Amino acid sequence: MTNTSRAAREAIMHSIRSSLAASQGIVHTPHTIVPDHGEPIVADGSLSPIETFCARLESVGGHCHIAPDEEAAARMLSAIITDLKARQAGKRIALSDSPTVARLARDIDSDEIDVCPAPHDLFNYDVGITATQAAIAETGTLVLVAENERHRLVSLLPPVHIAIVHARNVVLTIADALSQLRCDDPQEMSRAITFITGPSRTADIELTLTVGVHGPKELYVIVIDDRVADNKPSSV
Amino acid sequence: MDHLTSETFDANARAALTDSQLRGALKNVTSLFGQRRLAAVRSVSNWEELRSEARRIKDETLLNLDKYLDEFTAKAEACGAQIHWARDAAEANEIVKTLARERQARLVVKSKSMTTEEIHLNAALEAIGVEALETDLGEYIIQLAGETPSHIIAPAIHKTRYQIADLFVEKLGIAPTDDVVMLTATARRVLRQKFAAADVGISGVNFGVAETGTILILENEGNIRLTTSLPKIHIAVMGIEKVIPRFADLAVFLKLLPRSGTGQHLTSYQSLITGTKRTTDGEGPEQLHIILLDNGRSKMLAHPTTRQSLACIRCGACLNACPVYQQIGGHAYGSVYPGPIGAVITPQLIGLKKSSQLPYASSLCGACREVCPVKIDIPELLLHLRAEIKREPAVGRQESEGVAKNRGEQLAFKFWAMVMMRPRLYEFSARVGHLLQRFIKRGERIGKVGGLLGRIAPPLAAWTSARDLRPIEAESFRQQWRRETAGRS
Repeated sequence: MTNTSRAAREAIMHSIRSSLAASQGIVHTPHTIVPDHGEPIVADGSLSPIETFCARLESVGGHCHIAPDEEAAARMLSAIITDLKARQAGKRIALSDSPTVARLARDIDSDEIDVCPAPHDLFNYDVGITATQAAIAETGTLVLVAENERHRLVSLLPPVHIAIVHARNVVLTIADALSQLRCDDPQEMSRAITFITGPSRTADIELTLTVGVHGPKELYVIVIDDRVADNKPSSV
Repeated sequence: MDHLTSETFDANARAALTDSQLRGALKNVTSLFGQRRLAAVRSVSNWEELRSEARRIKDETLLNLDKYLDEFTAKAEACGAQIHWARDAAEANEIVKTLARERQARLVVKSKSMTTEEIHLNAALEAIGVEALETDLGEYIIQLAGETPSHIIAPAIHKTRYQIADLFVEKLGIAPTDDVVMLTATARRVLRQKFAAADVGISGVNFGVAETGTILILENEGNIRLTTSLPKIHIAVMGIEKVIPRFADLAVFLKLLPRSGTGQHLTSYQSLITGTKRTTDGEGPEQLHIILLDNGRSKMLAHPTTRQSLACIRCGACLNACPVYQQIGGHAYGSVYPGPIGAVITPQLIGLKKSSQLPYASSLCGACREVCPVKIDIPELLLHLRAEIKREPAVGRQESEGVAKNRGEQLAFKFWAMVMMRPRLYEFSARVGHLLQRFIKRGERIGKVGGLLGRIAPPLAAWTSARDLRPIEAESFRQQWRRETAGRS
């Protein structure tokens, strides 16, 4: 910290403390704030967490597939790539360094598959495939933890992002996800966590919703639900 | 283009009212965001509890701001972040300029940040020959046009797609098009080259978590992820009020902010950044610099009423709800912070002398207070600032002239107050008024349109020049009430 910055810190802290001291004797009666109008319309709770996750994600423009095991997930992944190729949107494929992704991508029919290309090169890829560390059902959100996987740029630069979610990592709420991510010792915390809910979007021109302004235009998620039947919520 | 200032708010507002394109755009944005907000609010069962909880967290933070800032900086530094303190805009800009010079930076990419707008960082960087490029689509458009944001969530909402197309044709040399998808794709293409070449990325901060030293930034476009992932240095400019105590508190604000701002359950992306990467070969910047900015904020702690201003999470809901903003838009406020929250924050940041009209830019209807996710009592703040102007006429230039001239107005208000506090006298006055109003009534209105009031009574003309009155009814509400309830019970 420079001397100026140190002096600024002292001055700001002093100003904060003297302002707070000055406010002590002032009686303030808060206004009773009018409750926000409208009866809540809340989901009826008949969906399982996985179904809720998929429904929320699709409501914001994501595409969701559920696979019973890794083999099925690999087939779904290949099918997605085949479709993308037919649209000239699946030629060059970038993978994160996740072992799951490596296994699933083995059967993809393409000569241009690379693991974690250099950033300047990654701009020219069509598809990025990553795993995820968690997913949040109530919002349809993917949670990417930088310490566990090299996927910060593979999930961001190519126009198509395909993400793999394991059903056992799906939590119900944002609060649940945060409590899993929090560490008592902040030094243990992941240095970069990204929440992703749908494709990149903007409405900055005449409020017209447009996807893919800076991040991916398309987001595909494959949920691998290979938990034994007993562990699955039986609403299906 | 000359930017408007808060000092000339009345004139700015009058000019805005004659801009039919602007008013059309405002109607669209405020009603759409308003409807979406309401639908999103209804998707949670405990909205009221969430608002109260958010305010409680903010109050707790503000009452212990020194402690939480200390904790935040210690934790962030332990994870490799470098903390800088800035008393005002000049100091903050100096810190950024020094960092840019050290790295011999030529190109800086910026993601949308109100705080960097507040300190006019772009101009400061350009003065030393560093290109500071806005990358949020709306911000990019208005930067190309040399304008300022008109809405804190949708900065370029005052421009049509045709104007934006003309701008892109002129500045970027594209073939003429008015297709929004094409325009957006153009911005993506142009800005990606810039992201690839940028030396420094500058962002704002939505929340800084004291217990972990984490900063959280929300967005929809992905430009914040690019800004905070690609360049070797990330500089985050953060108002000192952005700190919150616990990591778990984020859950409350992540439910409130997107719903209040754009009516989304969650924005497309949240970046949670705690210090710098652990290993040199990891992804992400090598350095994270967090600049903590005061710029008048600590003074707002000195009174419980003004302290509320620091609870604001910059969602923009009060703009969309405000009948004044809905008509005049953001530019008229002459400040980076427009709308109801701008009308209370701007005078506290730049002084009432330069913004004495802003506390009057409201009908005190309370719509802003009703939608505020952290329950800021904006009408109370407006009245507080008005009282300050009356108490110390010198702080409000315009008003001090008014006070000298308007002894008559003060007398009239005293008389009015006396009548209002005496029900019988009030009813009597209303009856007399009903009899006398026929001399000044035209059709069903009293006032400027067709009325004689302005011409007959010059002191009242100032008041009726912008307002029509409905005539006094033959039967008062109390009389109607008595009549209606007489038959029952």
